[in-house]
Amino acid sequence: MRKNIRIKHALLGLLLAGATTLASASDAEQIAKGKSLFMNKKKGNCIACHMINDPDANLPGMQGPPIVAMQARFPDINILRAQIWDATVRNPNTIMPPFGRHWILSEDEIDAVVAYIYQY
Amino acid sequence: MKIITSWLAGAALALIAGMSSAASTGNTIATVDPEADRLALQAYFQKRFPEVELADYGNGIYALDAASRAQWEELEEFPPYEFDIEEGEELFNTPFANGKSYADCFENGGIGVRQNFPYWSEQQDQVVTLELAINQCRTANGEKKLGWKKGKIAQISAYMAFTSAGELIDIKVPNDKAKAAYLDGKAQFYSRRGQLNMSCANCHLQGVNIPIRADRTGPTLGHVTHFPVFRSKWGALGTLHRRYGGCQNNVRGTALKAQGEEYRNLEFFMSYMSNGLAVNGPGSRK
Amino acid sequence: MNKYLPLVAALVLSSSTVAAQSFEDVFNAQRALHGNGHAFTFEGEQYTTDHPEELEAAAPANATNAKALIASAKAMHAEVKAVGYDWTLTKGILKNASKALKAGDFQKAMNLAAQAKYHARMGVAQYHNSKQSWLNMVPE
Repeated sequence: MRKNIRIKHALLGLLLAGATTLASASDAEQIAKGKSLFMNKKKGNCIACHMINDPDANLPGMQGPPIVAMQARFPDINILRAQIWDATVRNPNTIMPPFGRHWILSEDEIDAVVAYIYQY
Repeated sequence: MKIITSWLAGAALALIAGMSSAASTGNTIATVDPEADRLALQAYFQKRFPEVELADYGNGIYALDAASRAQWEELEEFPPYEFDIEEGEELFNTPFANGKSYADCFENGGIGVRQNFPYWSEQQDQVVTLELAINQCRTANGEKKLGWKKGKIAQISAYMAFTSAGELIDIKVPNDKAKAAYLDGKAQFYSRRGQLNMSCANCHLQGVNIPIRADRTGPTLGHVTHFPVFRSKWGALGTLHRRYGGCQNNVRGTALKAQGEEYRNLEFFMSYMSNGLAVNGPGSRK
Repeated sequence: MNKYLPLVAALVLSSSTVAAQSFEDVFNAQRALHGNGHAFTFEGEQYTTDHPEELEAAAPANATNAKALIASAKAMHAEVKAVGYDWTLTKGILKNASKALKAGDFQKAMNLAAQAKYHARMGVAQYHNSKQSWLNMVPE
């Protein structure tokens, strides 16, 4: 697990000396993709229920917890991923759709959303 | 290791949640108790919104959200459904080809009876909604059925609701067969559906008055009192089953048939939950 | 003290449920954490976190395989419709799969059919789950 976090942090542009430009470029793309999924009503539509401190987040909903302190709340980024994949595992009565289990988003799309919200 | 402990915690919470709520509600014909369900639902809302009068729940989300209530009251000053009530009255009073009319099919000539629908019909062995009764009246008199969701049927239903304004919803569950229909409606209300995996309860119980973008979902207590409804989004009047279909599509579930057994049973359950609240249809909503 | 009894009971129960986790639970947990294409073991056997439908779509992309996958997706779709738990997007995905087949894009046809078939299977699962889980949502 630990190793995994480090890799993700590296991808966030901290390390990987050799492939720095490549990694950060694709990472920026990943984050941009995640952001568009977060905002898009026909895709993630996360903004319908979650506040996020992004100036482009217009009229976010409040059904779910706000997207804040994500790295502190989910030191293991994969647990965050799993929460998006199927939130009913932790809370059987949640209103949150199981984005992975019901294939609402593809696995790549879930990774992109994770990359975007993990910055907050 | 961390994952496993947090899963454990999650599973434990799940079991606690499951045990505490499932224990006290009826889920068989022998144990289901509509009156206990209704009181539990009222208690849930009164605990959550202690400042809101029970009678105000007929006003839906506007009972809870002061900001949108002002806009709605402004809208209601020139009710968008007024024309529909007039049309409905005319349709209601126009005789069929055989000389009979709707008044001949209903108790009290169809005036002031909305609060008794839907009811369990012993004779038909099913739940009869007002719209179903309207179309049964037509076919019994040699007329064609109307479409279930909008237009004339909604206008006639609106007029009949209007003549019942202030009457208190009074749904009865007279026997075990009716109980089975009620229980089916109850299970439907709490069952997750569609790709988004949501039950009616997710939005209209748990999620009530919490913003979804700029919208807030209304409480299920008092949900049925204002139907049929003029929705700004439709720009027209529509029946409760039209709204059911829209809701189901919103959670990406294929809508069931209007006036099919499932929706009629759901209406039976939801109407029982609103027993004691005043008929105030037709209403207007966003 | 009484207050804590259910908690203790729940913890004991849950450790036994964890011990008796089904393949499906473990598969879903692994897929949730790692996405597709991830290896894991269950009761000593090696598996990957790919849905059966995705494995079917990984067969050689040709007209025969695409047709077969679309046909089995349609069969599963009929099953979910029969229990009234059909999802709105599945029909369109199936239509696009048939279009891709016609256009000779067999891989695309197979990927779409796999998704539609998975959706239909999950709808059937949702129908079965709801029979137990609806009670959890009823207020006391």
